[in-house]
Amino acid sequence: MLPRRSRLSVLVFLVPPLAVYGIAVLFPILQSLFLSFFQWDGTTAPKAIGVANYARMLGGDSVFWHAFGNNLLYVAISIVIQIGSALIVANLLLTLTRGHAVVKTLYLLPAVISTVAIAFLFQRIYSVQPEGLLNQLLQAVGLGHLQQPWLSNISTVLTAVSIPEGWRFTGLYMLILHAAFLAVPAELEEAARLDGASRWQVFRLIRFPYIRPVWITTLIMAMTYDLRGFDIPYLLTNGGPGQSSELLTTYMYKTAFTSTDYGYASAISVFIVVECLVAVGLIFLVLRRRDQS
Amino acid sequence: MKRFLTVAVAAAAALTLAACSGSPKATSSATTGVDPSGEIKPHAISWLLSRPADGAVVTIMQQLAGEYAQSHSGFSLNLITTPDRPSYIQKYETLAAANKLPELFDTDATPFAQKLASQGKMVDAQALLKSLGVYNQFRPGALNYQRFDDGSLYMIPFEYQPEFFWYNKDLFTKAGVQVPTSLDDLPQICAKLKAAGVTPIALDGQDQWPLERYIAYKPFRLAGPDYVTGLKKGDKQLSDSTGKAAAQWVSDLGSNGCFSSDFSSTGYADAQALFTSGKAAIYNIGTWELSSLATTKLSATVRDNVDFFTLPTVANAVTDPNEYVTSSGIGMAVNSKTYDPLVRDFLKFALGKFFTIAAQQGSLVPVTGVTTTVPDNATPLYKKALDAADHVGTKLVMPWDTQLDPTSNTRLQQELVLLAQGKTTTDQFIDTMDTAIKQNAPKYFG
Repeated sequence: MLPRRSRLSVLVFLVPPLAVYGIAVLFPILQSLFLSFFQWDGTTAPKAIGVANYARMLGGDSVFWHAFGNNLLYVAISIVIQIGSALIVANLLLTLTRGHAVVKTLYLLPAVISTVAIAFLFQRIYSVQPEGLLNQLLQAVGLGHLQQPWLSNISTVLTAVSIPEGWRFTGLYMLILHAAFLAVPAELEEAARLDGASRWQVFRLIRFPYIRPVWITTLIMAMTYDLRGFDIPYLLTNGGPGQSSELLTTYMYKTAFTSTDYGYASAISVFIVVECLVAVGLIFLVLRRRDQS
Repeated sequence: MKRFLTVAVAAAAALTLAACSGSPKATSSATTGVDPSGEIKPHAISWLLSRPADGAVVTIMQQLAGEYAQSHSGFSLNLITTPDRPSYIQKYETLAAANKLPELFDTDATPFAQKLASQGKMVDAQALLKSLGVYNQFRPGALNYQRFDDGSLYMIPFEYQPEFFWYNKDLFTKAGVQVPTSLDDLPQICAKLKAAGVTPIALDGQDQWPLERYIAYKPFRLAGPDYVTGLKKGDKQLSDSTGKAAAQWVSDLGSNGCFSSDFSSTGYADAQALFTSGKAAIYNIGTWELSSLATTKLSATVRDNVDFFTLPTVANAVTDPNEYVTSSGIGMAVNSKTYDPLVRDFLKFALGKFFTIAAQQGSLVPVTGVTTTVPDNATPLYKKALDAADHVGTKLVMPWDTQLDPTSNTRLQQELVLLAQGKTTTDQFIDTMDTAIKQNAPKYFG
């Protein structure tokens, strides 16, 4: 039982942010949920249609399922790039004796560049005419036959739009993981090395288990952020060609602001919220089972 | 469980609150006369528009607003421009949904705009122009472009922009091809141009509307402007002979390499650069690019080789060769909710002067009786384009992106890319589009 003064302090510090959270996050979600039971074009009176939007979304909308499939692949590629390379770079940084700050700044740089600039940059990198950096590099190393319009080819476009998203936040997650690595007690690693552990064993059996809670947090952050990924695919391809790089978010945006079908767009947005919650739940479930085993 | 119930109750309470606070509400539909009574009380007005910030409309309107403010202290015109059309449409439709549109706003004659008009949210432009005594000055084609299907007019045009096929004579000669006389010639011409090592047609695929023009051309020649009017309502299908011919033609353009391999991610500036740098042979664009294509701004190596041809025809065409896309641009609508004597008076002042100034600056204008000044740095092509604009026929190719319901239009834009890339067959394309239109058209035209 907290003393009266402490309880007051807790209220003073917790209630304002909770109120802001409620107004800025929970209320719009609930409002979307409410709106998802209507057919509304923004100009005429909304018409209550029950769960028809959900039935359409889950049962008869091929674009929705196509976008959902794209979303899963987009998240997978982005996470592998973000968390995978962040883990490697953060680990390698420990071996550097000088220039930590420069390397960290360079890796973090993409996270502070505006999205529009990143989209423009990658549009140039992938370009065919004028020949972009990627196609020039392929030509230079004798792989000219692999040159192609990366953003116009339906087989490569989804990967092409996922890479900038992954590249952009690698530095951020690298910083978090590097800070966690620095907290690993040096004596533990030293003892392991004295016992003859290789570098890989030190990483696998000492460092990684020690930073596991931080790694889980970054994984959740990356996954929820990537599930909501919108800006780079929208700016680079607008979901095309066809629906090859359409994500749930870009589809929702078009449904709301191009088709002015706010009810259906709200149903998609509710699905995205549920999808994020399920993804986080699955991560916890898998990890808990692994811990128990 | 207890925690879950608590959350559920909280959610239910919030839902109830949301229901009570009510969100979507039907908007009132006040209709305002075009000549409101009362005193002219100067105040600030806004125009939400989608035009280049340094373009003729914005710069001239700023100048005219300044002049008007000198005699009407307290008046100002706030021009809020979003040149990127998709972003603009999002802004405009969101403001319309919130019933917060400003005094003046831009819109095409889309199904969405027609809904606003039918709800009395826009001033009747035909009545307004007539009451201001300027209606008869407008080119009929410029006004027709702004009309809804029922003939009503709610937008005022500020531009007049025929669209031509600009081509590079030198590249045509090197490839041994002639200007097409029929639309059916174009795929073969593309094949020869491609074999000669040039990009046949420079296409801004990123903005989607340029490719959508190509699906409109064959139906316009074969069945006239009414085809899309029937198609968008579901009264006609792409599976009919006209629709099949249109889909096959776009497919043929793609399979003959008319467009660059990366056309779907090529932007407006890059497409134009392809043509102006002599790397592409054909560029289909309107006269708003006259200053880039028919003046000394164009590179000297390409300048003398540029010419244009108009939309080729087809055998048994129902439209004349001088009938093609002639847009009067996005129109300006007047918000009936905020319409007052000041807005009317300013529009009277502005419309009385705008077109003369624009024509003096070299722009084609949607009114007759005003001669466009040919700039000093113009090539002979500039004058040729102005002359062609004066001889445009009465039937117009209506861009399909302004005609179809927005959901079907989005799908069409996506499927067209796949069709031109050869990633879908004409039958699949037709089937997908007919299904999409059948599902979505009733929401707008039912």
